[in-house]
Amino acid sequence: MSRLALSLRINGETHEVLTAPHRTLLDVLRDDLGLTGTKENCLEAECGVCTVLLDGRAVNACILLAAQCRGRDIVTIEGLASGGELHPLQRAFVERGAVQCGYCIPGMILSAKAYLEECPEASEDGIREALAGNLCRCTGYQKITEAVATAARELYGGRTTQ
Amino acid sequence: MSFECHEPSSVTDAVALGARFGEEGRFLAGGTDLIIQMRRGKVGPRHVMSLHRVSGLDRIEADGAVRLGALVTHRTIERCPAFQGPLQALVESAAVVGGHQIRNVATVGGNIVNASPAADVVPVLLALDATVTCLGPDGERTLTLDGFLTGPGQTARRPGELLTSVRFDQLPPGSATAFVKAGRRKAMEISVVCVAVRLTLDAAHARCQEARIALGAVAPTTLRARAAERALEGQPLTDEVLRRAGRLAAGECGPIDDVRASARYRRLLVETLVPRALRRSLERIGRAA
Repeated sequence: MSRLALSLRINGETHEVLTAPHRTLLDVLRDDLGLTGTKENCLEAECGVCTVLLDGRAVNACILLAAQCRGRDIVTIEGLASGGELHPLQRAFVERGAVQCGYCIPGMILSAKAYLEECPEASEDGIREALAGNLCRCTGYQKITEAVATAARELYGGRTTQ
Repeated sequence: MSFECHEPSSVTDAVALGARFGEEGRFLAGGTDLIIQMRRGKVGPRHVMSLHRVSGLDRIEADGAVRLGALVTHRTIERCPAFQGPLQALVESAAVVGGHQIRNVATVGGNIVNASPAADVVPVLLALDATVTCLGPDGERTLTLDGFLTGPGQTARRPGELLTSVRFDQLPPGSATAFVKAGRRKAMEISVVCVAVRLTLDAAHARCQEARIALGAVAPTTLRARAAERALEGQPLTDEVLRRAGRLAAGECGPIDDVRASARYRRLLVETLVPRALRRSLERIGRAA
């Protein structure tokens, strides 16, 4: 079995990885780099728990070969807090009570981050549409939507309707 | 999954690898179908040729004829300014495929080659009389999309051939398109039925000059409803004429019972959704005039 030497830029740091060609970004993040904030579940791009940002866009790490990420910029949930301070999206999820079991939350937050960077004027419909690829089986989405709207106001001062 | 991974940096290199590995190789674009099929053990290529380093296939050209490179993503189609007018069914269909994570990587070329009868963008391309271009060891060839799609998961692509682009002509004045999809939920849904239509009216906007109706998820391939199209052409598009087209389309499709819906329900949907899409298209021509 051949091995690929990959240089992956994750959360601003470059990681050198030696891996088998069939391994996904999710495999490398969790098993090789110990970045277990990115979750594993359906492995068929249905549930969104493995969502990371690739060049700023939300993608499912479970169906992306690590080899496809050479030279690209990857952000995982571990890359959001800085200097011990939570990102405004993370803080809003905590303060709004948007988290129950928590398994879907890293993916939710990264999908929300990609959406807000493209649409700072966030609408409730837009938030719900942007999170359609992230399934939550606990909360019923209402508080998650509210948390994203709260973060949008804090980040961009928008007048997001709840 | 176990395979060798190749990362060609040009179309020429990709096609050379395709020729070398033939049936044992698969091109990888967005991976939203192929990786899942591989993980399920449905396909097991020994060589995967990832196209992520190939440049030039991710662009939309819309001066004169419209040409979409095979690696154009659903996201790019959704946001393409050239598709905001009469071609808006392309935007409507691309926008209902999976969630953002899928649309950010899933490509039009992959959607065509995967040949799912329930594909959403494919019916729109069929209604636009699109052609596809393939490049292989024997050179380049262009086929109609209709002729390219031969069965569920099956196309006329030869082993090692790379689909490089899909192309169609701009619509004449007095034209519009519409796409309507039925599913059991609003998002992340595989179509129970989807319908794409294209209408062109005569200069006086009195009669239908040309009509195309394409149906998804009701036959082994995405299907043109030709009898329904003929029933529209040359006619004033009264509600009765539109409803008759719906009945004809329902008669000429061949749905099956499956986990998502019964064949009978799918026919009822076709009968309803065809006139609905036609009406929407007519309204759009009216608004643009």
